[in-house]
Amino acid sequence: MFAYIVRRLLSMIPSLLLASVIVFSFIHMIPGDPAQMMLGDMATPEQVQELREAMGLDRPVYAQYFIWLSGILKGDFGTSVFFQQPVWSVILDRAETSLFLAAMSLVLIVGIGVPVGVLSAVRYNSKLDQAASALSMFFASIPTFWLGLNFMMLFSVTLKWFPTSGFPSVLASGDWTNLRYLVLPAVTLSAPNSALIVRLTRSSMLDVSHADYVKTARAKGLSEGAVNVKHVFRNALIAVVSALGFTFVALVAGTVVTETVFSLPGVGRLVVESLLRRDYPTIQGVILVVAFLYMIINLLVDLSFAFLDPRIRYS
Amino acid sequence: MKRNGLLFLVLTLVVAVCADRAGAAGTIRVAVIDEPPTLDQHVVTSDLATMIAQHILEGLYTFDSQYNPVPMLVKEEEIRDDGKVVALRLREGVQFHDGTDLDAEDALASLQRWGAHGSRGPVLFNNLEKIEATGKLELTLTFKSPFAPWKNLLAFINGGPVIYPKEVVEKADKTPLDPSQYIGTGPYKFAERNVGRYIKLARYDGYASRTEPSNGYAGKREAIFDEILFIPVPDVGTRLNGVKAGDYDYAEQMLGDLFDSLKEDDSVKVSVNQGANQGLMFFNSSAGIFKNNYKLRQALEAAFDMEPALQASIGPRELWEATGSMMPSTTAWYSTAAADKYSQNDAELAKKLAKEAGYNGEKIVLMASTSYKIHYDTTLVLVKQLQDAGFNIDHQIFDWATLVSKRADPAQWDIFFTHHGFVPDPVLFSFMSDVYPGWWATDAKAALAKDFVETMDFTARKAVWDKLQALLYEEVPIAKVGDYFSYDIYSPKVQGLSESSLIWPKFWGVSIQ
Repeated sequence: MFAYIVRRLLSMIPSLLLASVIVFSFIHMIPGDPAQMMLGDMATPEQVQELREAMGLDRPVYAQYFIWLSGILKGDFGTSVFFQQPVWSVILDRAETSLFLAAMSLVLIVGIGVPVGVLSAVRYNSKLDQAASALSMFFASIPTFWLGLNFMMLFSVTLKWFPTSGFPSVLASGDWTNLRYLVLPAVTLSAPNSALIVRLTRSSMLDVSHADYVKTARAKGLSEGAVNVKHVFRNALIAVVSALGFTFVALVAGTVVTETVFSLPGVGRLVVESLLRRDYPTIQGVILVVAFLYMIINLLVDLSFAFLDPRIRYS
Repeated sequence: MKRNGLLFLVLTLVVAVCADRAGAAGTIRVAVIDEPPTLDQHVVTSDLATMIAQHILEGLYTFDSQYNPVPMLVKEEEIRDDGKVVALRLREGVQFHDGTDLDAEDALASLQRWGAHGSRGPVLFNNLEKIEATGKLELTLTFKSPFAPWKNLLAFINGGPVIYPKEVVEKADKTPLDPSQYIGTGPYKFAERNVGRYIKLARYDGYASRTEPSNGYAGKREAIFDEILFIPVPDVGTRLNGVKAGDYDYAEQMLGDLFDSLKEDDSVKVSVNQGANQGLMFFNSSAGIFKNNYKLRQALEAAFDMEPALQASIGPRELWEATGSMMPSTTAWYSTAAADKYSQNDAELAKKLAKEAGYNGEKIVLMASTSYKIHYDTTLVLVKQLQDAGFNIDHQIFDWATLVSKRADPAQWDIFFTHHGFVPDPVLFSFMSDVYPGWWATDAKAALAKDFVETMDFTARKAVWDKLQALLYEEVPIAKVGDYFSYDIYSPKVQGLSESSLIWPKFWGVSIQ
């Protein structure tokens, strides 16, 4: 197992290098100029050129890449063009919001999606199953911006239970009550994702329930509850855990709409805004970190399979 | 153990929900549309940056409620040699936020950096023979020839000559200043930038306010709040809900479609920004089909009907004005010269002029951006009008950064659309610069522009501006769509704000009940 983990970690290096080349090339292929975006509409070509030189953007692209890469190897992700701060500190600051939001959303997704999915499968074709399926389709179809704004209207403007937007740092202030800012966004994000997990859990359970070993367990006289928990649910979890792993990364980096609606300083918004601002160092840094996160989560998901299914062994 | 942890989390959230939702006492929370790249006014022209920075940084002059330039850091002025020499005496006892006193060396160093690297600095410095500190508190500007717009340029701090301590600007270069260098003489000092969350300003107790009654941006500036928080809230619905829920006290730039309902809504107050923006179509004067072909540009101008474009892009009638005057009707520069050429809505005339211009259905590339909804909506309407008048329009849509990059190359476009913020003097219009994309640089323009800046008497200057506006309709380097006004909302608890703001909303002299 240890050797397998080391091998997987080492295999990430060429993948990350490839990702860095692709990200760097694609971003520099897009028309646009960070210096022009910084100085605004009225800047003269000479002023823009002066700033480009000061930022090192006048060098050949390959030279810029190697300067950036050598910085990364030394732990220096560069300086954000827009924020005038080290990219690493910008990412860390945004990561706090995204990780808390992803964690809270995941708790809700697992807490709602898995039990409802199991119930739906166990009571297949019952009214409960039909209602769960209908609700799942409903929440999977609703645009998150619409859901978020309506939650905001109800719970913030009318009932005044939660703040509308923003997220003051928990880590900087030590004030854990700031998590209340993430309740509505987490509920908004969990709605469509829970629906998908309900559907996935249900279909996985139904698939497994027709397997020979489940029929054997029933033939041996095991109770229905024991069959469902020990044999069906545990094996169905492989697909669900795999989906949850990627859902978590998507919740960290791909929730730009919800982050925008609730004005959260998260990673998803940072990527999109940096792209529009042509803040090259920030986009490159964030995408590389997210790629690394994907690989780590992928590894953890693979490792979890060994615990869920004893037949799976890594060597 | 796990159960206890869960219980703790739930209790924490319940307590938090019941927690006080109001902002800290003495703090106003302003929801803004984005984060500014920098607050360094010398180098950026972002209106958002200026709205924030005007509380920290001050210029030698500012504007009163009639857009007249009046002294700010200047105490008195002396104009000699028919306007060629301007001696400015600074106020005594004005202190920077670092505790040092303002003197002429600070003003000199700041103006020199602005002249060398500032977005608008060259407009003044290209006409300057020399600038020197002629006393501890006296600065003297000597122009090559009389230069009428000097006071407007010194008063307009957007991309303008705010005054920093000499020690700050001497170390600075072309790159924007670091936040630790945002040191000015304003009623608030820069406190903190928490990226993605807020920019915080704190009241400066050593502020030396002018004593005249407050008038526009001029006169007394009283910092009542302990702090001002500028919070980026990109979604307009969230800014609106945030004010209604009490999370923000002020929110900028609401949707035009909501204007009528918000005016009737008791839970918010509405403030219209009188500093008109204007939509502008820029024609490529440097290359392509429009180069030296004024008649073809006039043909397109004849086809436009601007009112539908303004209705589609802005909405309520109170938020736009279909006017051919380049300067808004709220200013003394308002002009009707040749304005009958504006919004003619005459497709037949357009076809006739196009034929005379030798147009044979060649493709015309018109670029617009989706980064600004107004740009996209406006061009959708205008492109249809041009197509109906027989023009072969290739409507190319980009994000703003791409458009700005493409428009730098004259070979890639024929027309692009943008908007122009309010300027107090026509000399600050982007199209008055020969190097702004569009590259309008004709002999007729140069002669009138020279006359315009060298004429010191306002009435005579206005007459020259009338001629320049007529030239704009003859050579058509741009086509004006119209004036439009953004509007903001604020909580009824906020006192001291009026139903309209001049250019940027300001929060000195403002309090919360």
